Amino acid sequence: MKIHRHNLLLPTLAFFTAFALLSILGCTKKSADSLSTIRTRGELTIGIFGDKPPFGYIDQAGRNVGFDVALAHELGRALLGDEKKVKFVTLEAANRVAFLQSNKVDLILANFTNTPERAQVVDFAEPYMRAALGVIVPENSPLKTLADLKGYTLIVDKGTTAESYFVKNHPDIELLRFDQNTEAFQALKDGRGAALSHDNMLLFAWNNENPDFRLIESNLGNADVIAPAVKKGNTELLNWTNEQIVRLRKEGFFRRAYDSELRPHFGSSIKDPGTVLVEPTP
Amino acid sequence: MVFDLSFFTRHLPDFGRALLLTLGLGVAAIGGSLLVGLLGNAFRNLPIPGVRVAVRSYVELARNTPLLVQLFFLYFGLPSLGIHWSGLTCAVLGLTFLGGSYMIESIRSGIEAVKKEQIEAGLSLGLSRLQLIRHVILPQALATALPGVAANCIFLLKETSIVGIIAVPDLMHLTLGLIGLYYKTYESLLLLTLAYLLMILPASWALSRLERRLRYGRQTA
Repeated sequence: MKIHRHNLLLPTLAFFTAFALLSILGCTKKSADSLSTIRTRGELTIGIFGDKPPFGYIDQAGRNVGFDVALAHELGRALLGDEKKVKFVTLEAANRVAFLQSNKVDLILANFTNTPERAQVVDFAEPYMRAALGVIVPENSPLKTLADLKGYTLIVDKGTTAESYFVKNHPDIELLRFDQNTEAFQALKDGRGAALSHDNMLLFAWNNENPDFRLIESNLGNADVIAPAVKKGNTELLNWTNEQIVRLRKEGFFRRAYDSELRPHFGSSIKDPGTVLVEPTP
Repeated sequence: MVFDLSFFTRHLPDFGRALLLTLGLGVAAIGGSLLVGLLGNAFRNLPIPGVRVAVRSYVELARNTPLLVQLFFLYFGLPSLGIHWSGLTCAVLGLTFLGGSYMIESIRSGIEAVKKEQIEAGLSLGLSRLQLIRHVILPQALATALPGVAANCIFLLKETSIVGIIAVPDLMHLTLGLIGLYYKTYESLLLLTLAYLLMILPASWALSRLERRLRYGRQTA
């Protein structure tokens, strides 16, 4: 029997074209859930980190904890009257946008820095923190400033502001990119790169636990802000989140959450929480 | 939905580089796996006690653990024992470790399919053990094993898509990185699909050509 095995090209291409068309149709039709839908559902889905202490991580009892989680609980209480009605979805830096776009989560509270590229694809609410980038090296490293990094390998997390900052501003520094925070820091410990770059606050906290490393930069990049994000065009949820953030700022929630969730992790690296929190405008 | 055409021109060179790396990785892994497959079968038939069990254990271990775990072990586990291999080395070794076990099984099935009469006929002609392997067993065994071996080759090429987890910049790693940086999901995925097709379709075609050529001596019922 003779089988024509080589005429597979056309069907394959046809399949992929059909697949692409279908997925595009599927994506444009789905709209995000409105506030009333969330209320009827009785559950607010929030995307957070699972391995980035002190913002979003899992404690020894297996619970989601951290600064972002405290904020999530507060929002759940405001919208549904019960913080237990918040459903957490843990995600990675690089897939935050995809989770919003595909309606897997209503809201992202994952240390999400507001950048122009991201603002084109999601809607950012009022910010609650400020962020800059830091660079950390082993204690005994000869590197002293950013300028020394040229020609060395720098470890970053995929899809973070650290990655895009170095791609844009320092293309001569070779990047080693990991999907997960845990793997990136493990790679630094194993000496797979000379340094690691991440949000400065995350590095302060990690440095506090790992004293045989030191920060050589702690204020790189634009003075960015961290904010909750909703799916592009979900104005109802966006406006509601804005109101909540403004209210929580006024009530001093972020100061309290800073004291309980962040201060123990930062040690003495941050003297004044006003440098990292977005304070209420008088 | 409109495709951003400038994205294609801007990142085509990146995809070219990643394609070459992926292809190189795949070819190295296939070569290594074939070597392991042949050696594994040679060892299996040595009259030394324990060797057969050792080969068998390796096959079971390699086939029944995920490649992800094997790569993590090589990349993040071995440094604690003082062994520092680069991501690329770990990727080639991991893929070879997995692929070798599949190759051993495919080649074994080919060897076992050689009829006993063929071996007896060879022996009665006075062929030595090596001559028997070289002129009687291997030509027939490889022809029988080829479809399985070819499937393993394609499998290994596709399996390279996982090495990004240890930061090896292959096609998948590049694509996910670009999506994370610029949020051009559809453009990136389209280029990714085309790059894989560009690599795997010719390989698949060449392997089935080879299969047909090696079937020349086969009696058809």
